[in-house]
Amino acid sequence: MRILVIEDDPDAATYLVKGLSESGHTVDHALDGEQGLQMALDGGYDALVVDRMLPGRDGLSVIAMLRAGGDRTPVLILSALGEVNERVAGLRAGSDDYLTKPYAFSELLARLEALVRRGQPDQVETQLRIADLELDVLKRTVRRAGRPIRLKPREFRLLEYLMRHAGQVVTRTMLLEQVWDYHFDPQTNVIDVHISRLRTVIDRDFDTPLLHTVRGAGYCLRAPD
Amino acid sequence: MRPTRLFRTTALRLSLLYALLFSLLSAAALGFMYWSTGHYIDAQIKTGLESEAHELLRTYDRGGSAAVRRALRHRLANVTHTGRHYLYVPADGKSPIGDLHRWPADVAPDHRVHNRWLAASLLPTRSDDDADYLPVLAVRLPDGDRLLIAQSMNEAEDMRDYVFGTVILTLGVTVVIALLLGILMGRSVLRRIDAVNATAGEIMGGDLSRRLPVGRRGDEFDELALRLNAMLERIEQLLTAMREVTDNVAHDLRSPLNRLRNRLEVTLLEQRSESEYRQAMEQTIADADQLLKTFNALLDIARAEAGVQQEECAELDLVELARDMGELYEAVADEAGLTLNLTLPEAEALTVKADRHLLAQAIGNLLENAITHVPRGGCVSLEVVRRGASVVLAVADDGPGIPVEARERVLGRFVRLDPARNARGNGLGLSLVRAAALFHKAELRLLDNPSDNGSGLRVELVFKAS
Repeated sequence: MRILVIEDDPDAATYLVKGLSESGHTVDHALDGEQGLQMALDGGYDALVVDRMLPGRDGLSVIAMLRAGGDRTPVLILSALGEVNERVAGLRAGSDDYLTKPYAFSELLARLEALVRRGQPDQVETQLRIADLELDVLKRTVRRAGRPIRLKPREFRLLEYLMRHAGQVVTRTMLLEQVWDYHFDPQTNVIDVHISRLRTVIDRDFDTPLLHTVRGAGYCLRAPD
Repeated sequence: MRPTRLFRTTALRLSLLYALLFSLLSAAALGFMYWSTGHYIDAQIKTGLESEAHELLRTYDRGGSAAVRRALRHRLANVTHTGRHYLYVPADGKSPIGDLHRWPADVAPDHRVHNRWLAASLLPTRSDDDADYLPVLAVRLPDGDRLLIAQSMNEAEDMRDYVFGTVILTLGVTVVIALLLGILMGRSVLRRIDAVNATAGEIMGGDLSRRLPVGRRGDEFDELALRLNAMLERIEQLLTAMREVTDNVAHDLRSPLNRLRNRLEVTLLEQRSESEYRQAMEQTIADADQLLKTFNALLDIARAEAGVQQEECAELDLVELARDMGELYEAVADEAGLTLNLTLPEAEALTVKADRHLLAQAIGNLLENAITHVPRGGCVSLEVVRRGASVVLAVADDGPGIPVEARERVLGRFVRLDPARNARGNGLGLSLVRAAALFHKAELRLLDNPSDNGSGLRVELVFKAS
């Protein structure tokens, strides 16, 4: 996908551009808010990565201008300010996600991909299917190879999130935010334990595992190649 | 203290203003005194003249014209003593007696006291009087004789002058004293302010332990000094705490950073296989992630301690949050071979004003601590109960507990009582719990949790119910 990075710190920008390019994306880079806004308005991007503090025009103002013009391109804000109200202000200005520095690149990549994927379908699917794993959101049923699988409510939500983002890497913080609605950084492996329990239920009795661990990043639910 | 500086000070300006006001008031009081004294003298003179006329009229009644002449002759001999001038003119106008040369043209014998102009030509030459307005009383005797009495004002003027002099002198002394007092008071106030300024200068110079001098009078200056000292105390505490944090951060982040750097350096010393490089880099990333975690934990603590977004807090049901967190950590406890028990009130919401994420993190840290420290087979419990006007959230375990003397210390940053057992922890868990308690104005208690095998730990967060 085409990504525009608006970041004034040249070092940070270089790594971002390099990392995103090597992850298979086409990346443009703007050094300040004014230039960034112009490039974003010219259009054609699948997602924007915007630094909160920019010379010329502030990151929030860039997003507000874009949204005022009806542009709905997904935006991820990078900020050194992690206050709760800063986060709220960022989301209120029209950004779709918020990442506090310091962050891991894998976290940024996973969130960007989740954002772009989310931005596409207008209607929410209620029947999800990955390989032989099926999940019916309305009937609250899960089957693998036709065999029903019983899940607790939270396990169901976890699996639903993973299936909606099938093929993408989802990080532990993304899961804690999206499935449990907590914005904090647990010091232990609390998410890993839930994933491993889910894995026991959906993968143990089958030959092809669907739920994979991505080292240093998170998890990925995907159909075998 | 240079005089020019003294005169520029507010204290002195105020004092001088006071002196001026005081002087004006004194002048008004003294002026009134001067005026009323004059009034009194005038009244005295009038009464004196009237009683003298009365006396002479009675003399006339008793002994007629001859008696009056006798009395007047006697009085005229003493004119320097009484200061009165007389003129007695019989009805036929012959042989008047008195020390006034003529009857003044505009004086009628109407038995009233008037101030009349007596020209120099009327007055006796030996008198000290100049031509002047003098109080004059003229009476008509029964046979048509006329008698005129005039009061010389010399004595009254002397009296008036004396009073005036006294008034001016008093006023002068008052103004001088007021000014002197003003300057003295200004200087004393200024001296106290100078002391405050000097101390402030020393504090700005870096000596934070300095305190302002406090007097024994308990006046507003002392109160101000006490307040400022309390403020300085607080600032010093905060700065000390901050310095400790900085020291801790430097210490606890330097070693992992150093480890990370050394690994990379050693890896580059020789030519290695690709898988070796990859392994080194993956380890480096894992280390860096741990560092980031520590950094983020520090930031979270700092944010909670700053406690700025109290108004962002919403009503939150502690029971529901505890149930949710219990569900989140139940699996982790299970994995560690522990039982996690939830003790929550049935069908009752216990709400407090709280920041959900911060509180969840605090509960998470407490549960993680318990799970890490309690040996397999142990038991961890999470409870929410109402206790009077408070709502108590407690995490209790039957693990090794924390000795009483170490309970205050473990709340500090990077404190690990047993690093060998918990190599993974960064020693920030309880610091965040304390910061979260502070943020929510909740009381944090570390207590014993008596159990079969000794004493475990019970951590309570006591909230005010909303």
